[in-house]
Amino acid sequence: MKPMLSTDLNVADTTVEKAKIEIKNLNFYYGQSKALKDINLSLPERSVTAFIGPSGCGKSTLLRVLNRIYELYPKQSAEGQVLLDGKNILDRSQDLNLLRTKIGMVFQKPTPFPMSIYENIAFGVRLYEKISKAEMDSRVESALKRAALWNEVKDKLNASGQSLSGGQQQRLCIARTVAVKPEVILLDEPASALDPLSTAKIEELIDELQADYTIVIVTHNMQQAARVSRQTAFMYLGELVEFDRTEKIFTSPREKRTQDYITGRFG
Amino acid sequence: MSAVSEAATSPAMRTREATVRRFAFTDMVFRAATRASAILVLVLLGGVAISLIAGSWEALSKFGISFLTTESWNPVTENFGALAPIYGTIVTSAIAIIIAVPIGIGIAVFLTELCPRPLRRPIGIAVELLAGIPSIIYGIWGLFVFAPFLQTTIQPFIIWLFKGIPGLNSLFAGPPYGIGLLTSSLILAIMVLPFITSITKDVFDTVPAVLKESAYGIGCTTWEVTRRVTIPYTRVGIMGGVMLGLGRALGETMAVTFVIGNAHRISASLFAPGTTISATIANEFTEADGAIYTSSLVALGLILFIITFIILALARYMLLRIDSRTGA
Repeated sequence: MKPMLSTDLNVADTTVEKAKIEIKNLNFYYGQSKALKDINLSLPERSVTAFIGPSGCGKSTLLRVLNRIYELYPKQSAEGQVLLDGKNILDRSQDLNLLRTKIGMVFQKPTPFPMSIYENIAFGVRLYEKISKAEMDSRVESALKRAALWNEVKDKLNASGQSLSGGQQQRLCIARTVAVKPEVILLDEPASALDPLSTAKIEELIDELQADYTIVIVTHNMQQAARVSRQTAFMYLGELVEFDRTEKIFTSPREKRTQDYITGRFG
Repeated sequence: MSAVSEAATSPAMRTREATVRRFAFTDMVFRAATRASAILVLVLLGGVAISLIAGSWEALSKFGISFLTTESWNPVTENFGALAPIYGTIVTSAIAIIIAVPIGIGIAVFLTELCPRPLRRPIGIAVELLAGIPSIIYGIWGLFVFAPFLQTTIQPFIIWLFKGIPGLNSLFAGPPYGIGLLTSSLILAIMVLPFITSITKDVFDTVPAVLKESAYGIGCTTWEVTRRVTIPYTRVGIMGGVMLGLGRALGETMAVTFVIGNAHRISASLFAPGTTISATIANEFTEADGAIYTSSLVALGLILFIITFIILALARYMLLRIDSRTGA
């Protein structure tokens, strides 16, 4: 049984929205083993898309293709096309540093850099922009406000980023990502290491950020996917099983495997 | 039901209690053994310090503080001063570290970040083998190959190059002997390089992959990731490697004795022969006939002991200060 090509439906669902990222016939390999099988997917601009599926289904892998972070590891390779605003980012001529300033990423575990809170944010900005101290100050402030962290850290901007709590560190990482003004933000299970209160804050933040950014979130938590995303992709064993508006996936999925997964029958 | 199970568990409970008692005994033995091992270190350290102080007492009480400030070292008149060996020890070790640290970190960065996978192991092994070469081999290589090479090519060139520049011209003044302070420093740099490299490489490997990924993820190049993330994250470990290298350089005897020239004097030029504490001790212990001569050599040992101690303490203090500043 071949799953219906989700892009067909997606076009119908989101005709009014411009696709920010279009993934076409994407295959991904860890050495010899194929981790993604012929993925076709279109992510609309300025909205949240969730990737769900059991462990090892390829959802994180798919996310890691989008900013080509997988290229740090020599045995991993991707083939197919990933179009960002119509331009194939898998092309060899694509500059990786430039790509990663456009597509920011936040990881499962908070990863503050070994420097002060202020520097954690200023560092990334300074890489690509020459701006004055005053401009930098306001940039850092607005990024921290954006990440709902400003009030908690404004009196200790020179303290180490590692001195913050886990939830604060994760918001610092989001602030850092936002500060370099990306177009797309990739979130790889951003709340899985956090307590419920911090998780709620992060989700609130995601909700606000989608006004300006295209957001892709990988999550194990289906309630979270249901709460934050506009459309959801369900993946299983390296295949994209179903992609649709989130409420459709969670209320009346087309595929039996999707139904089984969201009702907790496997995975 | 409950009565039955109680009756069944009660002998079982007794064996269990016996086992627990046995555990408690082995645990106590284990604790005592580890504590004794730890105390043994303190005893050894104290013993070494005390015997050094006792052995050097005669010289120190005769010469007093002037032992540290006198350059002359004259076995005939039995007038001894430690300034030249102290100077030589510190200068050669410092130059060795200045040369070896950037190269060592460079090798470590290359091996962990940039090296093609098939090359990684051969280079890594070569670096470790460098550490395995006995110091006497560095000594003869330094004396018969390296020093003549420096004497005929590098040193004349450098002397010519800096001739007219004030400061540098006295630092690199002729004649080119081949052997001397700089040659020793270079040999020491080669010798401490593997320590610094392998420790730096090991601590670089401890940087979490996600941390590097997130730095690459905001558009950093490898250089930026290394400078702003990898090195700050691992600075304590790198300092540890540098200190270990410095400790080795300060105490290294054989190779230095071969190439330093063993002259008890302080010259402005790095090309001039000099001596270090350990080279002096190794060279002269057999011919030290008077009690005051022997005692002076032991006093040199005590000074080396103290220098090493101070350097380690300084390193600790620096690390402490860096940590408290960044709050890490």
